[in-house]
Amino acid sequence: MDNTILIQGSFTADGNAKNIVLPAGVDWMRVINLTEADAANNGHGFEFYWQRGMTDGRGIVYYHPAADQTVAVDQIAASGGFFLVDTSNTDPSAAVAVTGTTNAAQPVVATGSTAGLSNGDIVRLSGVTAAETLGGWDFSIDTLVANTSFRMAYAMANAPGAAGTAGFWRRIPYDPIFYPRWRYIVNISQAANAVITTSVPHGYTVGQRIRVDNTDVRFGMSQIDGVEGIVTAVTDSTITTNINSTAFDAFTFALPISYPVGFATLHPVGMDTGTALLGAVDLLADAVSNTAYVGMRLVAGTVNPAGSNNDEIYWVAGKSFSNLAE
Amino acid sequence: MRETEDNLVRDMMAATAAMINCLGGTNGDNPTNISTSDVSFVVQALLGNDAKTLADNIEGTDKFGTGPIRSAYMALAHTSITADLNAVNDFLHASKYSSQASLLPSEWGSIQNLRFFVSSDGSITPNASANGADVLNIFCVATEGVMMVEQDRYRSQFIYRPPIYSDPLAQNASIAWKMAFASRIVNDAWVINMRATRNI
Repeated sequence: MDNTILIQGSFTADGNAKNIVLPAGVDWMRVINLTEADAANNGHGFEFYWQRGMTDGRGIVYYHPAADQTVAVDQIAASGGFFLVDTSNTDPSAAVAVTGTTNAAQPVVATGSTAGLSNGDIVRLSGVTAAETLGGWDFSIDTLVANTSFRMAYAMANAPGAAGTAGFWRRIPYDPIFYPRWRYIVNISQAANAVITTSVPHGYTVGQRIRVDNTDVRFGMSQIDGVEGIVTAVTDSTITTNINSTAFDAFTFALPISYPVGFATLHPVGMDTGTALLGAVDLLADAVSNTAYVGMRLVAGTVNPAGSNNDEIYWVAGKSFSNLAE
Repeated sequence: MRETEDNLVRDMMAATAAMINCLGGTNGDNPTNISTSDVSFVVQALLGNDAKTLADNIEGTDKFGTGPIRSAYMALAHTSITADLNAVNDFLHASKYSSQASLLPSEWGSIQNLRFFVSSDGSITPNASANGADVLNIFCVATEGVMMVEQDRYRSQFIYRPPIYSDPLAQNASIAWKMAFASRIVNDAWVINMRATRNI
């Protein structure tokens, strides 16, 4: 039929939420967990369906109600199903109360609700009483304990100086839409090849040139402010550079007494051709590009559409000719 | 169409430009509201990076209530910064420039070597301050700091096809626009995102 668009695909689950890009938009989506369909795991979902008009974050689940091949159906629990994604909308989630943060290089954030959060998500704290410098910047989380706590995934240079006693967290659903992005720095090593740790996965590649902006002396290592370097190796959250910081002061994350502070940041400024060629990296990997997309975010779990680790998952999504609400 | 162009360039700068938090304000947030010392800091940083100003001096004249304007970098901001700008020491509203010849309609005024241009499409990062307030991104741009590249010899096109093109009965006209351009920061040392929260 005219104006009806279908798109399909598959993936192997890794235990994390899955974002699926659907350039034409989406009015409905069906997800089949082939692994669970074939298995006989009590309570595990194997087919999921969502249609425009249903609550965002929910949908329908078909599951095995016993350790056999029998089938039952239910509505997916709130925040456990399908979320429409439009990355041009960068509004954070609503603020949720924080009851405390620990005084550790990887602070644990205590909260009564972790609804909508998964490991690897990015959050932003605000109004953190007693540990003010933890507020106003984004960081990835791990060690999520449902409705109890989550932890900062990438360690800061030092503990924030005090335990926080109150505040709020918000989930930051999307990266800024243009690549390559500036990032907050949480640590820099003193080494012949300085290793810089960012608060979220940086997305840089070997060969890219970066500049460190560290204008606030309370973050230490003031000698590195304005220094450009070349990325020689990467992990998700670190870059190894050709900057020799051996003789620099130690990098320290500013303490609450310094508040307000100017955070140390990392900026991509181009590509070093030689390093990129040696590293077999695309010379244009640093090109500024608009990465915005529309699509669907599938939540992970045994009764959720993104499944569990190593599940084989197939999906089909559609854009309908009409949407009649009667 | 033109608004979308502006928004794309805005979002590009918000994602990739170097940033400096305002720290000299008094609202107790991080970043703070904009202050004279923050403007001085940004101007000093741009000067230190050998960035060329975009606008020339405006010479002083003997008109009551007016003042000369320094050669300046361009600061692009959201309209919600205007009340705070009015309250900054050294702020001179555009109506008090000694010459009105080079003013643009969106120009609000100047502080030291920054001339501020405001738009309701200016950049805001929601709930991004330490206290959870919106952060205003003020892009301070020097000469040749940012560029737009036309592709296929055009940047954007507005297309109109009259009904005669649609069918023999000429029942439907077509109106559309399309875009083929890329924007990017040319020299990352010549663009600074001065981040501020509001006090007023």
